[in-house]
Amino acid sequence: MSGPSLDAPVRTTAAAPPPNASSPHGRTPHRLRADCTTHGDGSLTFDVRLSDETGKKAAAPEADEHAAVLLRLRHHHGPDASLSLPLTPAATDGGLRATLPATTWLREGRWDAYLAQGDEEPQRLLPGVHDLRSLLGGAHVDARAWLGVRIPYTTKHGNLTIRTWVRRPHAEAGTLRIDDATIALHGTLYGAQLSATACLEARPRDSAAPPVRIPVRPAQEEHSGRETAPQHTPGPHHPQHGFAAELPFTALLPGHRIWDLWLRPSADEEPVRVARILDDIPDKKHVFSYPSRHVASPDGTAHAVRPYYTVNNNLSVRVSYEAAKQEG
Amino acid sequence: MHISFLIFSAYGMGGTVRTTFNLAQALAEQHEVEVVSVFRYRDKPFFEPGPGVRLRSLVDMRRNSPTYDGANPERARPARVFPAADGQFSRHSALTDRRIGEHLAGTEADVVIGTRPGLNVHVARQTRRGPVRLGQEHLTLATHSARMKLLLSRVYPRLDAVTTVTEADARDYRRTLWLPGVRVEGLPNSVPEPQVTPSDGSRKWVVAAGRLAPAKRYDVLIRAFAQVVRERPDWGLRIYGHGRERDKLRNLIDELGLYNHVFLMGSAHPIEAEWVKGSICAVTSSLESFGMTIVEAMRCGLPVVATDCPHGPGEIIRNGQDGLLAPTGDVSAISGALLRLINDDQLRVEMGRAALTASARFDPSRVAARYEDLLTSLVNRPAGALHRARGTLLGGAYAARETVRRGVGHALEGARA
Repeated sequence: MSGPSLDAPVRTTAAAPPPNASSPHGRTPHRLRADCTTHGDGSLTFDVRLSDETGKKAAAPEADEHAAVLLRLRHHHGPDASLSLPLTPAATDGGLRATLPATTWLREGRWDAYLAQGDEEPQRLLPGVHDLRSLLGGAHVDARAWLGVRIPYTTKHGNLTIRTWVRRPHAEAGTLRIDDATIALHGTLYGAQLSATACLEARPRDSAAPPVRIPVRPAQEEHSGRETAPQHTPGPHHPQHGFAAELPFTALLPGHRIWDLWLRPSADEEPVRVARILDDIPDKKHVFSYPSRHVASPDGTAHAVRPYYTVNNNLSVRVSYEAAKQEG
Repeated sequence: MHISFLIFSAYGMGGTVRTTFNLAQALAEQHEVEVVSVFRYRDKPFFEPGPGVRLRSLVDMRRNSPTYDGANPERARPARVFPAADGQFSRHSALTDRRIGEHLAGTEADVVIGTRPGLNVHVARQTRRGPVRLGQEHLTLATHSARMKLLLSRVYPRLDAVTTVTEADARDYRRTLWLPGVRVEGLPNSVPEPQVTPSDGSRKWVVAAGRLAPAKRYDVLIRAFAQVVRERPDWGLRIYGHGRERDKLRNLIDELGLYNHVFLMGSAHPIEAEWVKGSICAVTSSLESFGMTIVEAMRCGLPVVATDCPHGPGEIIRNGQDGLLAPTGDVSAISGALLRLINDDQLRVEMGRAALTASARFDPSRVAARYEDLLTSLVNRPAGALHRARGTLLGGAYAARETVRRGVGHALEGARA
């Protein structure tokens, strides 16, 4: 075989794939990226790039009334599982921008982002360079009737999706301190008052066993990494109330089960799921990780107790038998 | 000029790939540029090569591809040109020897650039007469084995130029190897201007990013941050990246009770979106052949607290002006430097601005201009081929003599970190 020429536009021998095959230039169709920015007022913008990843002018969407960012709620159908956000020319660079206003109510879940143009089949959008700084300041949608969070993220297939939560009221988990006998939880309650009868409820999952109730007291919350002077003073519709509670391990023993944590603002109010949603991290499970503690139940059985965040960022406690420890 | 890069795999996510694409893209504004990847493991590169850069590969390792090379019997025979001293030797074979050799023998490029020692050996030995031969060192001479150093001292005289990513390493090359007539230049890696607006220094996060590998010494950073938290519990630390140290670091965080303050974030891409959420960058490595993350963070407006380890940090950071240097492994000095920036909002913001300005010298256009100067002078050098023919002969003879005179095997081994 002769030496390959670097200028040869097409290679037909088996020595190497055609040059174009290893370059994204040859791929069709071009899928576009959207740079997402969360804003201090709770809105979220999508700036659709008018060039593809090779920097070439791509099949750019026309700025007509039909071009839109389409959001579809995964695994759901119906009128409230789809939302179209019109794309209009952005003032700055002539690109196209769609805005999800703070006041638009979105169901809780995962909203896949598409580019919709005219009658064409909507195309899945790719993530761009996001600016989610406002989420670190605790920015969230503080509407009259609900508290909303939208976090753009990249799916495992590399696509752009928006994770959403809607809560009212909401109990945000803060610091957790785990010592030999208790989990001390600090948190913030939004949209409800903490009464004298407020309590933390640990409810056994998949079990008819009664919940464990622990009294809750008002307390200041410390948020590491939050800004000195939050841009967001607490909204008038959602007064914040710091709370603290200590959950003793012995109350969760014995047994092999998961306990979901809820906060009941008062004895005659519905409980609120304790969750951690007010920041820029869509999946808490592997980032917010806590040590396991070894505890013996009264009959001497060894247990491991560990708080964790569920796939929906709700706070739970896993209690399991420790077979290996039973001998000792 | 027609410039051709030769890289192990352009489809991976390593620093060499990123910096090669950055440079290739900047050079492509004025020149014809291609990146030739020895291997292709994926359909699509992890990083974008950029406009105007042609990308192709020599050995197709995609199992579902019609041109799959994995079953080629030549792969069973070990490489003879690609050196055993290079850590990627086992991935190479008689097949890569032949494909790379054919590529270099037939190249129409004016400049051929190798991007790791093993490939530089190919470039030195197999490029046809004519093109300028340049070998890039993305690691450091000091971290190579004695066997590798001996090999380089024999083969590199056939190159026209060797580039290192720091001046310190360029000095090492000039001092340690005998490379008659070979230009040795320190040319840094480049980092493009981020697409996000820089950090304003107001958010209480220290950010670190890189592979969770022993040399990064994140254990030192976590211990230093334990001292920070005692004084400033309102600040947090985010560490981005994955790697084999993860479980150890997780245990250390739990052991020190830092699970409300220190977070292992996993990988993030693009990382610039994460830098700008922070106000200080921390790098506590025992070794940084360059220090790409330092430049990335500075380009996002973050002052960097870094250990003054070999080789890069001291050449990137001007201590006290656009960042702070601390002795390697010194937990108290590192926490002291972090607290100095944490406790002084004005200093932090000023140093962040200085970092933003100073790091513009690493812009791909600026680094590419330096490469362009070097390549132009090499291409235009009178009787370049003659020099090299001489250099080849001299190189072999001198290297043999040097080996004896200096006892290279022992003298060079000492420098390995």
